[in-house]
Amino acid sequence: MKKNDEFYIPYIDGSLGIKTKQTIKRFAIGSLIVIIIGALLFSFAQKPFKNSSFELISATKIIGVFHENPYPMLRVQIADNTYKNILLLGFGKSSANPFLEQIQNEVKNLNGQTLSIEGNLIYYNGKTLIQITDENKVTLLPNSSGIYPKKISVSKMTLQGEIIDPKCYFGVMKPGKGKIHRSCAVRCISGGIPPVLATTDDNNISEYYLLTDLKGKPIHKEVLPFIGKPSEIKGTVVKMEDWYLLKINPDDITIISDLSNIYSKTNSN
Amino acid sequence: MGLNYQLVLWNKHKKTYDKIIAAGMLLYIILFAATTLIFNSETSIETLVIRAFGSLAIIMLHIILVIGPLARLNTNFLPILYNRRHLGVSMFIAALIHGGFSMFQFHALGDVNPIYSLFTSNMDYGSLTNFPFQVLGFFALLILFIMASTSHDFFLGNLSAKVWKRLHMMVYLAYVLIIAHVFLGAFQQETSPFTIGIMVIGFIVVASLHLTTAFKERKIDNTKTEEKNGWLKVCHISEIEEDRAKIFTVENERVAIFKYNGKLSAIHNVCKHQGGPLGEGKIIDGCITCPWHGYQYLPSNGQSPPPFTEKVATYELMLEDKTVYINPKAFDEGTEVKPCNY
Repeated sequence: MKKNDEFYIPYIDGSLGIKTKQTIKRFAIGSLIVIIIGALLFSFAQKPFKNSSFELISATKIIGVFHENPYPMLRVQIADNTYKNILLLGFGKSSANPFLEQIQNEVKNLNGQTLSIEGNLIYYNGKTLIQITDENKVTLLPNSSGIYPKKISVSKMTLQGEIIDPKCYFGVMKPGKGKIHRSCAVRCISGGIPPVLATTDDNNISEYYLLTDLKGKPIHKEVLPFIGKPSEIKGTVVKMEDWYLLKINPDDITIISDLSNIYSKTNSN
Repeated sequence: MGLNYQLVLWNKHKKTYDKIIAAGMLLYIILFAATTLIFNSETSIETLVIRAFGSLAIIMLHIILVIGPLARLNTNFLPILYNRRHLGVSMFIAALIHGGFSMFQFHALGDVNPIYSLFTSNMDYGSLTNFPFQVLGFFALLILFIMASTSHDFFLGNLSAKVWKRLHMMVYLAYVLIIAHVFLGAFQQETSPFTIGIMVIGFIVVASLHLTTAFKERKIDNTKTEEKNGWLKVCHISEIEEDRAKIFTVENERVAIFKYNGKLSAIHNVCKHQGGPLGEGKIIDGCITCPWHGYQYLPSNGQSPPPFTEKVATYELMLEDKTVYINPKAFDEGTEVKPCNY
């Protein structure tokens, strides 16, 4: 040990010697340099974030035709003959269903009814979702039944991608995919949020598939082990206006060791 | 050291120390946030908070871990060691913000209890790449919490220095857990040679400083000596500086042999407060003074001067032809031993 004549005693004023002071000063400056370099490195090393949005503090009212096919959506007219199907979600990591119960008691079948819903919009890459936080903000508009989208079977396909929870992926969280987010996505899908397969093709174009069972019914718990991992899924693609559904047997999901395009092409959070 | 536990007094040095810690933490958060908001502006506030405080806690932990060995290698670093607990508690606060936000973000508002969710939402415990890394962070945070909440001298006094020290040595387990948490978590997705590099360099610095200290101290422990009628040869008297000590190991215990005022006395090297190396201390006002926090002991009996009650074991010395010999049998703590005059 390097001996020195200076000997600091905390309770004795003036015991802090010059050499000791210099050492402490150098250590403090060194630590501050580490702090600065660390902040810059950790900050710059982050992958670019997606421009997805979650309007947490502003509420938007949307009016459209409700359909649950199999996941609750509102078909909203955005231009002449142009419709967008907005996926309905509940507060936190839950489905929209608990927030629709009250209104479902008012009519026999809510499918095809026009609703006004006020909530927080989530949107990214052409898809829009809305978070409902108050069942009283869901209103049934009288005598206003409408048309809801038809499903057209496309083909059987094998797709590579990642099963994500759409609420986080399309805006609530960044990153809303991958290992960091896996636990949250499991919680969301377990809580009733529809599972979505996010894929990206060789031209870096992403597509999203709402996963259902082979009968077109909702699935949640069955896909939990595969969430947030690069996967290959066989299923039947069904088109429903601006959304695709993928009817699957969960046994046909395979975890793939190579990263799917969702990682290599988009390269963002 | 005290009979009654009182509020820790913040002297001028402690205040400066705390201001530097606060300024450093603030600087880090502002720099991280500003750089992210300018160059990667699509971030979310929650992610910003989680990442800024998580990375800050890691950097602070590295700084904390190098202070110990630096102070063992160069006594000029001792004042930093003296206030290290403040840095530790501050680091825990940064880690708690990181962990708390992550816990809420990823596990709250779901269909199960967040703690249950933490352990069960990812069940790939058998896989390395898919391992539930958040669990590792949780246990590290738990250790840091135990350490931060027992950092006051009240717990040191009640738990005993030995237990307290062992408890606080768990920082190394927390460090391992945090490294695993980062490498099996964030680095699996946010792979960057810069951040991986900074963690690797940090580990190398921490490990090499500890190893250097360990090798140096091992040298003391492994010093070969001669035995003479049950007495062990320590050194020539000139090898001990006035008012200072030589550390010598007998029967796997380090002993501090002090030279002062024409006398020699030997006491157990470990301070009763936090296990500080008394042999690296100095005789001040006739008392052996611990270099870590200034705890004092009388050289002739290893007792703290009244009204304090700490006691360490004492040893008998013998001087022959200016060579110091020690009786390896320790006396009970606080036993009066006549100093060896020279």
